[in-house]
Amino acid sequence: MPSLTMPRARADARGRKPLGVSRAEHRWLLWPPLIFFAVALGFPLLTLVRRSLEGGGAAYADAFEVPAFTGSLVRTVVMAAVVMALTMVLGSLYALAVVASPTWLRFGLLAALVLSLWTSIMVRSFGWMLLELPRGALHWFLDLLGLADEPIELYQTTAGMYPAMVAVMLPFAVLPVMTALQSIDRQQLSAATIFGAGPWLTFRAVTWPQIMPSVLSGGVLVFVMSLGFYVTPLLLGGPGNMTVSGVINAQMNQANRPDIGAAMSILLVGGTMVVYLLADRLFRVSEKWG
Amino acid sequence: MSTTVGRSLGRYRAPIVVVAMLSSLLLIVPFLVLVATSWTSGSFILFPPEGFSLDWYAEVLADPEWTESFRLSLWTAALSTAIAAVLGTLAAIGLTRVRHTTARRWIRTLFIVPIALPPIAYAVGLYGVTVDLPFLRGTLATLVVGHALIALPYVFVIVSGGIARIDPALRPAASTLGARWPLILWKIELPAILPYLLSGALFAFVVVFDEVVLAVFLMPPGEQTLPLQMLNASQEAFSPELTAASTLVSGLALLVLAIVPVGRVLRRRAGRAASPRPAEGQAAPEGVTP
Repeated sequence: MPSLTMPRARADARGRKPLGVSRAEHRWLLWPPLIFFAVALGFPLLTLVRRSLEGGGAAYADAFEVPAFTGSLVRTVVMAAVVMALTMVLGSLYALAVVASPTWLRFGLLAALVLSLWTSIMVRSFGWMLLELPRGALHWFLDLLGLADEPIELYQTTAGMYPAMVAVMLPFAVLPVMTALQSIDRQQLSAATIFGAGPWLTFRAVTWPQIMPSVLSGGVLVFVMSLGFYVTPLLLGGPGNMTVSGVINAQMNQANRPDIGAAMSILLVGGTMVVYLLADRLFRVSEKWG
Repeated sequence: MSTTVGRSLGRYRAPIVVVAMLSSLLLIVPFLVLVATSWTSGSFILFPPEGFSLDWYAEVLADPEWTESFRLSLWTAALSTAIAAVLGTLAAIGLTRVRHTTARRWIRTLFIVPIALPPIAYAVGLYGVTVDLPFLRGTLATLVVGHALIALPYVFVIVSGGIARIDPALRPAASTLGARWPLILWKIELPAILPYLLSGALFAFVVVFDEVVLAVFLMPPGEQTLPLQMLNASQEAFSPELTAASTLVSGLALLVLAIVPVGRVLRRRAGRAASPRPAEGQAAPEGVTP
């Protein structure tokens, strides 16, 4: 995201702000969304904090007593990290291929991207279920090649969950990189080639530095979104692969312990926010989106 | 543009394109399988489908449970999107008026935070609010507000991208000519960001329409949004009815996506016919904001 206000900001700083910003303007433009955030975001978060502290903080200790919780915590973080790494690599390659391939192929790649961005995550997870069922489409296909006689065991296993998660998250990693690639300076690429740099050196010295921030911000986005993932792990991971979200849901709807659910939610929100804010400070993530 | 990047990749180009094509299969194949299973004439999900019929589509369209939940999703999502569109645009414009750099960064981060917010934790918080405030019980207010908050960042990011493309000289010019801020907003900034506002709102609508986790916690008993209906149906029995409904929703989304660019082209033509001034006149001095 380019800086938005360079020329005006300078003019304002110099003069007695003839073109400046009135108080009324601030009040009418910025306050409505800020108030909305205070109500719609602040209120629920405060409620969570209050609910979780009802027993004097015992809910936090109880949360770690829940046998499924620590396991799910580790599993969620590992899952988010693996999915992030995979989507960063695949997403960068995908974006490179989009700008580097002939028109017909680019059209196909973009169509796949739009299709998956535009259909709901749940519908896509359903598709993966159908693919991975013991006698599902994948089995049919392998059978056709004469590779599978037994029903395959992918459905509701860890190995079956990852491809679906990567597929669901892939567009978020592709889009920022694609934007960055499109605004890359072609002259530098040509110059590198003219001066005899091979493809690897050109990529490392010219292309990579220009797209790296977008790759990182796409990765952070995927990581943060994966931490709160609910639908896909639920449908494809099965009970053996409960994420933190699944455990919270169980506390609320089955164990009927809203205080523990609230404590876990606070931990989840807190962890996610720390990651997001750190990444935002370090890599200026939010400025790369859009 | 593609050729320069493509050429710079040299001999690595072919493998990259192959990897991207394989990844695009991850995006497309599950969806195709889903569509295929929905036109079976049998009553079970099978791949390859048995025979061909559109019975299951008729079944879905005739079932009031599906149509009711579709209607409910449609209007709640429309309401949330409207709130998010107005507030997100105000936020994006208002942010450009903040001169303090640090303040601007923090406010910007705040407006993007809902993307990173784990939906389940937010849902638990909103649920807590409904429990505390009895007058909210049984209404859809918390659902609509929650969805609006989730949708807001998408509008904000896309509209901010549009604002960055407005010629920064226009505002001072209008101000010098005596226009006050509401007039500048109405005559200069809003027309320039309108396309971005529309695409942001469309994106937000799709996000909200698909959102299920908030609905799990916040729907009053007896009512279901479409994604919730789909999730519940998938937990009970995975039938061709469900895949037919998924196909219908996705088809509808893709139809909207196809209509929007066509509408934009038509409007631009009409605009050109109406006024001799080229439509591109006020848009995008791309070089101004690097």
